[in-house]
Amino acid sequence: MMNEPEVMNEHEKRERRTVQLVVALMLFVAFIYAVTFFKLPLWLPALQ
Amino acid sequence: MATATTTAVHDQHEHPPAGIMRWLTTTNHKDLGILYMSFGAIMFFIGGAFIVAVRAELLLPGLQLLSPGMYNQLFTLHALIMVFGAIMPFATGLNNYLIPLMIGAPDMALPRVNNWGFWILPFAATLLLTPFLLQFSGVGSGATGAGWIMHNASLDLQSGIGIDFAIFTIHLLGLSSITGAINVVVTVLNMRAPGISLMKMPLFVWAWLITAFMLILAMPVFSAAATMLLTDRHFGTHFFDAANGGDPILLQHLIWFFGHPEVYIVLLPAWGLIPHILATFSRKPVYGYRAQVYALWTICFLSFIVWSHHMLTSGLPLAAEVYFMYSTMAVSIPTSVLVFCWLGAIWRGAMTFETPMLFALGFVAHFGMGALTGLILPAVAVNAQYHNSYVIVSHFHYTFFGGGIFGMMAAAYYWLPKFTGHMFDEKLGRLHFWLTTIFFNMTFIPQWFAGLDGMPRHVADYPLKLSAANLVSSAGAFLLGLAQLLLVYIVVKCVRGGPKATGQVWEGAQGLEFTLPSPPPYHTFETPPEVK
Repeated sequence: MMNEPEVMNEHEKRERRTVQLVVALMLFVAFIYAVTFFKLPLWLPALQ
Repeated sequence: MATATTTAVHDQHEHPPAGIMRWLTTTNHKDLGILYMSFGAIMFFIGGAFIVAVRAELLLPGLQLLSPGMYNQLFTLHALIMVFGAIMPFATGLNNYLIPLMIGAPDMALPRVNNWGFWILPFAATLLLTPFLLQFSGVGSGATGAGWIMHNASLDLQSGIGIDFAIFTIHLLGLSSITGAINVVVTVLNMRAPGISLMKMPLFVWAWLITAFMLILAMPVFSAAATMLLTDRHFGTHFFDAANGGDPILLQHLIWFFGHPEVYIVLLPAWGLIPHILATFSRKPVYGYRAQVYALWTICFLSFIVWSHHMLTSGLPLAAEVYFMYSTMAVSIPTSVLVFCWLGAIWRGAMTFETPMLFALGFVAHFGMGALTGLILPAVAVNAQYHNSYVIVSHFHYTFFGGGIFGMMAAAYYWLPKFTGHMFDEKLGRLHFWLTTIFFNMTFIPQWFAGLDGMPRHVADYPLKLSAANLVSSAGAFLLGLAQLLLVYIVVKCVRGGPKATGQVWEGAQGLEFTLPSPPPYHTFETPPEVK
């Protein structure tokens, strides 16, 4: 059983992990969008 | 003082605002789950109404009811609505309601984003349908008629305002899907109760985690392709404009890079929930848990490297054709693992055939037919004949309807008593299953043979020799649509009352959500459960 400071600490850690994950995933989405827009028009025609 | 404030806030949370404000402002995962599922159900009937009009036109050869342009709009809207407006939101509703309950979390990780993600959807749907409605007042040339993912560049570049509305709709849907997917990933990775390791999560949660990763990778590509289409149409770029050095095939590549994973995005949630239902009504544990998890990840990976099997007639080099043929056929290996695990789940089980089980078994049978027909199609030698024919229409309806919709219906019946606190009318449920199964096959088996006889997709007319197949198919479609009204009656009746559902609901049901009363309280697992 965790005491109160430990619970708060766990809560803060979880919030920090949430923010880190959200930022990482949003950056990943932006990266994929940018690659599609700027690079795939150059790379994909090589398949033809 | 602090205690009093806490109590007041707690009370407010226990008793959400009444009326419309509850639904507009809610951040509760159960409320949002119900909103998503209700939205999906409403769009299912709107998309269904459009295709009934299409099948009415195809009832007899020749043009009777619709102009070719109107016909194109109707089948395009039908597909866009069914995929993005009905199946995906319904599956998202299930994840919203069930994932926190299944992993012992108090809510989704990002509740306000969750609310935002949902309320984008009605605006997106309105945007999509606006040009369709405006044309009846003489404004514009109607909605897009370019097919569900608009991969015909010249048609896209030359069409009227309908395509612009569709482009904005895609951006909004992308925003909603991506925020929803990020929410799922963060919730599953970060909010599990102590003791629920990744390999102890229910398969439905695994399936949604993988679906979310697929959405995060595929949706930005679709959105970027839509942006490129927008800039080609209005801002002087020439990504897809062959007359100015662009490449129309590039649009097909981009769209299908999204479009093929999208098929699995629609199906994976169903693949995740079916093992639970089969296990419950066979009184056995889920069979082949690890094998199914690895198979789902393998399918996720393969789905991103097979997209050009949709383009085998577009003039790919032979090496590319051979690669896409074999890589696509490789998808059948993990898919077979799933199917054999489902069969393993019911093997020698003490089976009973309640409505959710019937729909789950219907799912296995119909999805099996869709998968087997899908195994034939990437063969380069035969694809030239089947491409863009009704063979394709029949095949993907066996996967989307036979797989996706049957799966969602199995889930709806399985968890409906948990959501409402009442048991539904079992006799009517079984009747609904049998009517749906009979009329579904009556609609789509003839389409397979019409396709083999050379009937092309996306054309409002056909030769006389295809009359019988189309007559049967149209009659089947009308009756299939009518049979779904029974579902509305069953759900409304269940919501209004009926025998009280117990917490466990079904005798063999397992999982954290079945440890809660039916319906679950407004807030659950505020103190994480201890899971061993």
